[in-house]
Amino acid sequence: MELADRAVGLLLSSISLSIFTYYTFWVIILPFVDSDHFIHKYFLPQDYAILVPVFAGVTLFSLLCVFIGMVMLKSKKKKA
Amino acid sequence: MKHVVKILSLVLAVSAIWITLLQAAIIPQSHTWLLPIYFVVSLGCYGLLMVGVGIMQFPTCPREAVLLNHDIAEAKDFLSTNGIDIGTY
Repeated sequence: MELADRAVGLLLSSISLSIFTYYTFWVIILPFVDSDHFIHKYFLPQDYAILVPVFAGVTLFSLLCVFIGMVMLKSKKKKA
Repeated sequence: MKHVVKILSLVLAVSAIWITLLQAAIIPQSHTWLLPIYFVVSLGCYGLLMVGVGIMQFPTCPREAVLLNHDIAEAKDFLSTNGIDIGTY
């Protein structure tokens, strides 16, 4: 199914590009814009620019640890 | 174990460079946490982009797939006639 593969690839690339542009805007361009500009409505306050990636990273790391723990438990059960 | 040591020493070197740049006042102090997180996020985005592009450009080989299916059917026939049991899974 070539079409399904290409659709998934396109989806992934578009997600990554949109995240990159949104985050670049948020962190680099927005501090130089006047606070009266309407564009500030579309972006959360700047403190969240640090919290959201850190929170996502911590969640990812904890999910990874849970997965590794489950795999280790399963392999021990099989031996015994 | 040695690979982890390599990665950890790399992280240590990068953080040392970042701290020296901060101390020498080349980078404004308000951006202490913002810029490294920005670089990590952009690195993750770049990885995701490369994965997406690779998926889009992955070549399928339809003729080889048909030939492979033929081979599988032939092998199954041969094994079942010669008494070896292959349960389909």
